[in-house]
Amino acid sequence: MMRFIRPRLRKPLLRGIALLGIAGAWVIGSHTWEPAIVIAIAAAGQTVYRYIWAGEDTDESALQASRADERQKQVGLRARALAGTVALAAAYAGLVITLAVKRADAWPFAVLLAVTGFAYLLGLSSYGSGEPAPEDEVTAGHQTRSPVNS
Amino acid sequence: MRNRVREQRLQREMSQAELAAALGVSRQTIISIESGRYLPSLPLAFTIARFFDLTVDKMFDPDDKEAGA
Repeated sequence: MMRFIRPRLRKPLLRGIALLGIAGAWVIGSHTWEPAIVIAIAAAGQTVYRYIWAGEDTDESALQASRADERQKQVGLRARALAGTVALAAAYAGLVITLAVKRADAWPFAVLLAVTGFAYLLGLSSYGSGEPAPEDEVTAGHQTRSPVNS
Repeated sequence: MRNRVREQRLQREMSQAELAAALGVSRQTIISIESGRYLPSLPLAFTIARFFDLTVDKMFDPDDKEAGA
């Protein structure tokens, strides 16, 4: 379905839909419309704003418009890595603080910590080879020490 | 690592935007490569070198640490 949507519009639209999801959850949970309408207007506004922003000549705009080159993708990847690290640290801090003060449920932070940690392990197994490197043909049969350890 | 991208581009009287369009990358990436802040991937390094009819080792000099990235 995404193929039929202009690349420049894809990410702004996805974020708009994500915000609409929050608005929908609000309506289901509290049966009041007013805050949900405000969130929906904000969703439409941010979609238009991000679409216009995606047309500019910057690295952020290129990422927003799904037209990033290799360096810009690397920038995006580093930013995501930083966001993941911060999320992990925030979840840990939240867990420790809620356990210490015992004024709120700690389990949402524990779940967030577990999910983030699991995602990291999943990333290692997906992007790494997951198995020891095969023996080099030249050194096969010889006892060699790894240059990394020497 | 020093490179000759800027020198070669100016020799051909090309703008950064024109070179970026020819190589299929952004103007910001050309700026980063020229200033030595970004080392291109091997495929992009080959594309750049071929575009200027040079070899990769003529285009990128690993021995020059002055403008290092």
